[in-house]
Amino acid sequence: MAGKTGSMPATYSPSPATRKKKRISIANGADWVRPDNRSFYQCRPAYLRTSAVSTAAGSAYAEFGNTKVIVSVFGPRESKKAMMYSDTGRLNCNVSYTTFSTSARGQGSDNKELSSMLHKALEGAIVLESFPKTTVDVFALVLESGGSDLPVIISCASLALADAGILLYDLVASVSVSCLGKNLVIDPVSEEESYQDGSLMITCMPSRNEVTQLTVTGEWSTPKIHEAMELCLGACSKLGEVMRSCLKDVVTDSKE
Amino acid sequence: MEYVNPEGLRLDGRRPMEMRQLRAEIGVVSRADGSAAFEMGNTKVIAAVYGPREVQNRSQQMNDQALVRCEYSMANFSTGDRRRKTKGDRRSTEISLVIRQTMEACICQHLMPRSQIDIYVQVLQADGGTRSACINAATLALADAGIPMRDLVTSCSAGYLNSTPLLDLNYLEDSAGGADVTVGILPKMDKVTLLQMDAKLPMDIFENVMQLAVEGCKAVESYIREFAILLKKKMGPGYATAILSKNGGSKS
Amino acid sequence: MVGLSVGEKNFIKHGIAQDLRNDGRKRLTYRPIYVETGVIPQANGSARVKLGATDVIASVKAELGRPSVSHPDQGKVSIYVECSPTAEPSFEGRGGEELSAELSTALELCLLGGKSGAGAGIDPSSLSIKEGKVCWDLYVDCLVISSDGNLLDALGAAIKAALSNTGIPRVQVREAASSDEQADVDVSDEEFLQFDTNGVPVIVTLTKAGRHYIVDATSEEESLMSSAVSISVNRQGIICGLTKRGGAGLDPSVILDMISVAKHVSEQLINKLDSEIEAAERANEEEP
Repeated sequence: MAGKTGSMPATYSPSPATRKKKRISIANGADWVRPDNRSFYQCRPAYLRTSAVSTAAGSAYAEFGNTKVIVSVFGPRESKKAMMYSDTGRLNCNVSYTTFSTSARGQGSDNKELSSMLHKALEGAIVLESFPKTTVDVFALVLESGGSDLPVIISCASLALADAGILLYDLVASVSVSCLGKNLVIDPVSEEESYQDGSLMITCMPSRNEVTQLTVTGEWSTPKIHEAMELCLGACSKLGEVMRSCLKDVVTDSKE
Repeated sequence: MEYVNPEGLRLDGRRPMEMRQLRAEIGVVSRADGSAAFEMGNTKVIAAVYGPREVQNRSQQMNDQALVRCEYSMANFSTGDRRRKTKGDRRSTEISLVIRQTMEACICQHLMPRSQIDIYVQVLQADGGTRSACINAATLALADAGIPMRDLVTSCSAGYLNSTPLLDLNYLEDSAGGADVTVGILPKMDKVTLLQMDAKLPMDIFENVMQLAVEGCKAVESYIREFAILLKKKMGPGYATAILSKNGGSKS
Repeated sequence: MVGLSVGEKNFIKHGIAQDLRNDGRKRLTYRPIYVETGVIPQANGSARVKLGATDVIASVKAELGRPSVSHPDQGKVSIYVECSPTAEPSFEGRGGEELSAELSTALELCLLGGKSGAGAGIDPSSLSIKEGKVCWDLYVDCLVISSDGNLLDALGAAIKAALSNTGIPRVQVREAASSDEQADVDVSDEEFLQFDTNGVPVIVTLTKAGRHYIVDATSEEESLMSSAVSISVNRQGIICGLTKRGGAGLDPSVILDMISVAKHVSEQLINKLDSEIEAAERANEEEP
């Protein structure tokens, strides 16, 4: 069973060096604790599993705290007839929320903004030349929204792509930080996101050390961006390792 | 409501037979093959023409004439109350069709077989008479693109309120519920290519109103010709010849 | 998209490498900016910005609305972009929707700041009329009329100019009898308040073509980009937003370098834009 190895929650947190830095910033605003009692630079425990949907070419399920996402990948399959000839493959991304994903009963409709963000984050990592004339469909469904949705979707989607056997330059890991007053908190939950002063999300390919997507909102000074990027990149490489081991486990499991 | 006061003046101070101020500009979209902006008072539209070019959808290709396509769209900020419209609603589909059919009447389609001409009209401000303004802008844009035409189509509307025929209705007069006649003519050939009316009018009054609208079309035509002559003076000969060569030559 | 041959692409690429672009510009020079304000009289504020052959209109409309439950002391600002088919035949029908959505998202990211309202170009708490009851909702509608690359920077500039042109009617709140009743407001049609647009950032998009990056790329230059980073910077040189376009990955150090370049370029852009806006406003006042 592919899922069995994953049933032990795999956790990750940045290296001790970055942790030390954090202690100082905590001292600055020590009166404040995160809603789930994590320290500022500690990510939520991650649980990852591949092959969650049997009918898809590849799929993955990711659970970061309360954020639960399932991504299935179909293809490469023939592009729609109306599309013009293209010597590179096409990537089609779709993100949707279930009606019960948020505390207020939502519409559960497609989310165009997130879909285009997901597309931009992934396209740089896929070797599109390897499947000309065809399309790969990535469907992401957010089962429960618990904050940092987009980074979780992106990481989970790259795992699903790898599971589907799509040629990738590298796995894509994504992490966001929120800026709350003077403090930076990594992997924010919904509550923190709702009163954040700014946010920074990095999507990167850890072993190539390349950033495929970066979004920043709110006011940031250059040193602060520097700090947040370091923090995110550190967490991304950790997350990349967890994702890699999740894929490896499946292989060793199936061999047994 | 009183649309014409006892002094014979309309809500915006015009006389019943008076048109709003016209303003034309050519080449407003530099990347298009031809483009024009046309203003009738507060109504402001932009038209861009792409083509003649290869037919995009092969199944629509015609071997004996050019395919003419038209799309009408309204900017979100064009009306007084802001609303999000979905593209391709009924009204804009209908206006697209009306404009296409009107322009088809003047384009020498048989000279450009197996090709396609796209006309895009964009309303920036709507204050009544958008149909007419769109057609006038499209004519200018086609001329700017150098597309062979039989004549310059011009259009104008007229209505009937407070037992007075009124030329070139604005939004307030248009929404008063009276009759609204939109006419498009080929002035040199003296032919009507577009005639639309809502509400009802007795036959003899209709004739008067329509005659007024036709007069309006002719006024638009003379404005466009003056504009072209002005352009020619400013830019030197060779420019704006498209507007003058086919039609202006015969003007005497 | 523009179809370019290999030769043409190489020509542009080599030009960029030698710091002399096709239209004679240097890598970090903008095309001339032309600003016209008050183009849409029905709106509270509007502006048309031309950047070379790129031509956009932005309009601001203010409507009375109810503040959201999570931020009762703030108004709401939303940005919509429409791509007219006059700019590009492929925008016909629903063809422009994808780009519209992308541009709207990028603009909201770059101009509206964080969720709490910090770092926003327009302070959302200045739109509050009565806490939890009434506030102004600003609708920023943009229209792309002609596109020759660098739409995002042009749209950002147009929004900044439109906001400088915006007058919000002064409102007076009549004391409501009970607290849960809808507040009664008097909207003045004579007195208008102006926005402080000093804090509104400008957007600088750096397009990476080959090993170099350029600002204000034309659509020809955009067709050979590998990736582009849009950075919004305010007068104080603080980053207010950032988003990346295009597939290829970038080294983190390159991004940091781009940020410092953008900061440098933004100073000139802000000054240029401010003087253009001022000139446009003055021209408006002179006209009867």
